[in-house]
Amino acid sequence: MIVGTAVCPHPPLLLRELTGGEDVAAPVREACHGVLAELTAAAPDRLIVVGGGDTTAEHTDAPVPARAYGGAGTPVAQADALPLSLAVARRLLGETGNALPVELHTVAHDADADEVARVAAGLAGRGERVGLLVMGDGSARRGVKAPGHLDERSFAFDDTVHRAVSEGDTAALAGLDAALAEELMVAGRAAWQVMAAAVEIEGAPVSAGVRYADDPFGVQYLVGVWTCESS
Amino acid sequence: MLRLRGRDYGADTCLVMAIVNRTTDSFYDKGATWADGPALERVRKVVDEGADIVDIGGIKAAPGEEIDADEEKRRVVDFVAAVRAEFPDLIISVDTWRATVGEAVCQAGADLLNDAWGGHDPGLAEVAAEQGAALVCTHTGGITPRTRPHRVAYDDVVRDAIDSTVAQAERAVALGVDPASAIIDPAHDFGKNTWHSLELTRRLDEMVATGRPVLVSLSNKDFVGESLDLPVGERLTGTLAATAVSAWHGAQVYRVHEVAETRQVLDMVASIRGVRPPARTVRGLA
Repeated sequence: MIVGTAVCPHPPLLLRELTGGEDVAAPVREACHGVLAELTAAAPDRLIVVGGGDTTAEHTDAPVPARAYGGAGTPVAQADALPLSLAVARRLLGETGNALPVELHTVAHDADADEVARVAAGLAGRGERVGLLVMGDGSARRGVKAPGHLDERSFAFDDTVHRAVSEGDTAALAGLDAALAEELMVAGRAAWQVMAAAVEIEGAPVSAGVRYADDPFGVQYLVGVWTCESS
Repeated sequence: MLRLRGRDYGADTCLVMAIVNRTTDSFYDKGATWADGPALERVRKVVDEGADIVDIGGIKAAPGEEIDADEEKRRVVDFVAAVRAEFPDLIISVDTWRATVGEAVCQAGADLLNDAWGGHDPGLAEVAAEQGAALVCTHTGGITPRTRPHRVAYDDVVRDAIDSTVAQAERAVALGVDPASAIIDPAHDFGKNTWHSLELTRRLDEMVATGRPVLVSLSNKDFVGESLDLPVGERLTGTLAATAVSAWHGAQVYRVHEVAETRQVLDMVASIRGVRPPARTVRGLA
């Protein structure tokens, strides 16, 4: 049974050591910590992390590849490290002192509806109480200085996601256009759709909210939370 | 380890020492801070720009009008006291070769004696020990203060600079100077031609390898001018290039005219070396 979900972005700059003297991502990180606390408050037995990746797979715990992004520390081959989305989740869970068992999954960034449904089916309907931590970013094309330059369609796309997460609208997330998401450099489409599909298998969110939504560096970061169990 | 005014600085910390001349005729500023008012203004400005140390000098290095010890004291002692009163935490250095002057300025609040003429007056190290001051031990090749090099030759200028400065530092430590406060300086252009100064810069890592803190005084000097064929006033870029190389080799103290520019170069080199995080990194990480 899925008791709740938390949605967090996964830019490398959430890893504190990567932004030098200034902690530029502090407000985003604080919001992420907040939704992790809300998720934990739903009393899950286990956390399942789902984030975008090159392929769909379950992962065992592995090092956070901070060095690959320029940080200090021992070099770890990227093949032996967590993919970025899971690595950021791992770091957030470490920062908040998570003590629950954690399961780590990636869903391919280009997963189609069938693949999304398969991953979701593996997460729903379990006997234990599950908290889903869903890692995904919005468009990286939200300004002329954004990583992917400006694409005006980004705003409508990200607004759709924002509204869907804030209202617990699983159908709206299911309906996101995969091809458009790829053009807009959206790193969260498949992961959000896995969340929507898994929750839909069991019913619908009973409450939903967005705790942070902004694009300080041209990429849309969305932090939100769903509770899925009537109290 | 470098210790100044009771504070410890690790090997990766670079300090900027701003030059404050109480002279009428120094080569770079030509008397701009001869009067008390402009000199104190200069101290305020360099502190504001990030100077860690001020180096106050009453006699220009080049030959010129003779300044006796009494006149030198008149130029620097009361000024040191005034700077100490206004800046209780600032590290104050005085550029002098005379023991009597060294004693007077330490009593007025100086922390560091910059013996730019390489132990010409052996009493200066004794004063540093007695007064608990730090000492800069420089290499001049044994020339008399305020004389220019003329046909100077070395078997190996770097070896000579190391042997001379380390010997002075060891003597100072034996007299009682704190080992972490016995600084060595190859003294670019002092008793050296441009080739010698360039080689000292190129091989500065050999001086750093002695384990003693190293000071360099590169600012606008003739070795920069001759290298680039530029007059005083147009040597900042060359000075900063030499600063970057020295920082890469591990020198810790930089005696300079231009503080803000030097600080920027030292910060940049420290970030390249990986001992200082960049101020703010977002590019490619969003």
